[in-house]
Amino acid sequence: MSGADLKQMKTTKKAPDVTASAVDEGHRTVPMPFGHALIKLAETRPEIVGMSADLAKYTDIHIFAERFPDRFYQMGMSEQLMATAAGGLAKEGFVPFATTYATFASRRCYDFMSQAVAEQDANVKLIGGLPGLTTGYGPSHQATDDIAIFRAMPNMTVIDPCDAYEIEQMVPAIADYPGPVYTRILRGNVAKVLDEYDYRFELGRSALLRGGRNVLIVSTGFMTMRALDTAKELQADGIDVAVLHVPTIKPLDETGILREVRRTGRLVVTAENHSIIGGLGEAVASLIGRSGMGVELRQIALPDRFLDAGTLGVLQHRYGISRAAMCESIKRWL
Amino acid sequence: MVQEAKLHNSQLAERAGRVRRNALVMAETQGQGYIAQALGVADVLSVAYFHAMQVRPEQPEWEERDRFLLSVGHYGIAHYAVPAEAGYFPEDELTTYAADDSRLPMSGMTSYTPGAEMSGGSIGLGLPMAVGMSMGLKRKGSKSFVYILMGDGELAEGPTWEAAISAANYGLGNIIAPVDFNQVQADGPSMKVMNTEPVVDKFEAFGFYVQRVDGNDLPSLVAAFDNAREHPEPKPRIIICDTKMGCGVDFLEGREKSHFICLGDDDWKRAYAALGERSKA
Ligand SMILES: Cc1ncc(C[n+]2csc(CCOP(=O)(O)OP(=O)(O)O)c2C)c(N)n1
Ligand SMILES: [Mg+2]
Repeated sequence: MSGADLKQMKTTKKAPDVTASAVDEGHRTVPMPFGHALIKLAETRPEIVGMSADLAKYTDIHIFAERFPDRFYQMGMSEQLMATAAGGLAKEGFVPFATTYATFASRRCYDFMSQAVAEQDANVKLIGGLPGLTTGYGPSHQATDDIAIFRAMPNMTVIDPCDAYEIEQMVPAIADYPGPVYTRILRGNVAKVLDEYDYRFELGRSALLRGGRNVLIVSTGFMTMRALDTAKELQADGIDVAVLHVPTIKPLDETGILREVRRTGRLVVTAENHSIIGGLGEAVASLIGRSGMGVELRQIALPDRFLDAGTLGVLQHRYGISRAAMCESIKRWL
Repeated sequence: MVQEAKLHNSQLAERAGRVRRNALVMAETQGQGYIAQALGVADVLSVAYFHAMQVRPEQPEWEERDRFLLSVGHYGIAHYAVPAEAGYFPEDELTTYAADDSRLPMSGMTSYTPGAEMSGGSIGLGLPMAVGMSMGLKRKGSKSFVYILMGDGELAEGPTWEAAISAANYGLGNIIAPVDFNQVQADGPSMKVMNTEPVVDKFEAFGFYVQRVDGNDLPSLVAAFDNAREHPEPKPRIIICDTKMGCGVDFLEGREKSHFICLGDDDWKRAYAALGERSKA
């Protein structure tokens, strides 16, 4: 990013950080994909109920609450209660979709999710808004460790969807899976990218979105959108980049990932909107280590520190997950 | 404050007015924000800082100061308006609110702002933190009070009630907890989102010395903070402050969707005018 770009960023009034959905320039958007997908699913699935801890409006489940007022439980600002009561509803045969911000879903609810949901294999879908670095509020709202937290919890399935197209498909897929799921979501006007790549979401499966001879990016969440844009940009410099999208981080598609990593002669890079500790990058690193392949791996991820407060564009660049930072890192590593 | 004689109500009102103006200045730099809360709680914070608390703005770490904890981090905008008026940092700095590398982040944090005693934002940590600081102060033989500002939505958080039980159990009479009962939280009217009433009865049953006052009436607030300090029993003290969101700016008062407000250019002018001020921007 040029100095002029950065300067402009500082002086323009920024979009509301609380509602950030991290749409990069040039992408189409879809409003409230999670809320709409849940409504559509619930039309035919009476066992589905919604819950939120005073963040319905900020996680797009408020439109579900408007459509099905008697199937929505407003829990107030009581995340620990919400997680545990979701476990109770699941015991009685319901399938609760419970929303809050990703920080509170993971940090505040940890023991409650572990004992009331995961250990009992309860059919609860916990939904985390504001994933990773998608707000300039500072550490209280920056969910840089949610994936690490839930990866370490037995029985949990962990998902970081890329865009609206994926969220629409992921909602019915996790409802069909009879166990505990933690998924991040993007809210508000969410970018739609993957429909251009002949993509289908399948729980536990990675997808090769484009091939390439020089670099393999293994990415998750909206970093896949950035990986695809990075690939286009590096094409101009004659660098051929493949992108493997890994929406389900647990269970990891080991076969799919190893199949791509095994092809030699490429720089292998993981990219995620999460701490460098405990997320996709380390999951792939340990997979490669166990496979005995001896492939070198580079990680694009947030640093292991409490991140600054400020404006989102500047912070994402500062911590290396902007598209521009991604391009720079890959060129440096080549 | 320690270096000033007790302020008359008219002087307090003037300072509360400047606190409101400061909050508008910050909100205007962003074009949006938690303006209605800041205007609503300005009187409570002004009485706390300019009447009740012993603090030294030029020496934020003064050991004998009263502590002030901001549990609801998004009230940073309301809180910064007060230390700016009190002289903890230059008023000019208010226009850096929420900007990159500012000392005044959107969500209040102790590592950023002079005079900020806790990193809030993850709501529900304030009263538990107050319990620990109160215990620590007592161990040191300190006479300082711990003031802790909570939101009404915050009363649904479990840790608040764990702390309430403990504060009474340990007789932590040096805790003074004003609650901004503004009837709003993120998803709408607080009592519809989660009805926590009757709060006075609840806190009394939990062993608190409880007062409930009009949180936009300065004389009532002054009396309530005085009572809280002087109450003889070793009970934690809570002051339920019924405040009006947007207080002082008529067209923001009573707006239904007021948790996070966006305003157009003309609205800012109207808002300053309502306060008898002019835009600084
Ligand atoms: C633990 C936690 N859960 C949720 C949030 C998101 N959040 C920020 S402010 C808010 C509403 C708080 O209600 P209240 O304390 O009454 O504040 P007000 O709406 O009056 O500003 C919520 C849910 C949070 N910051 N922390
Ligand atoms: Mg409130």
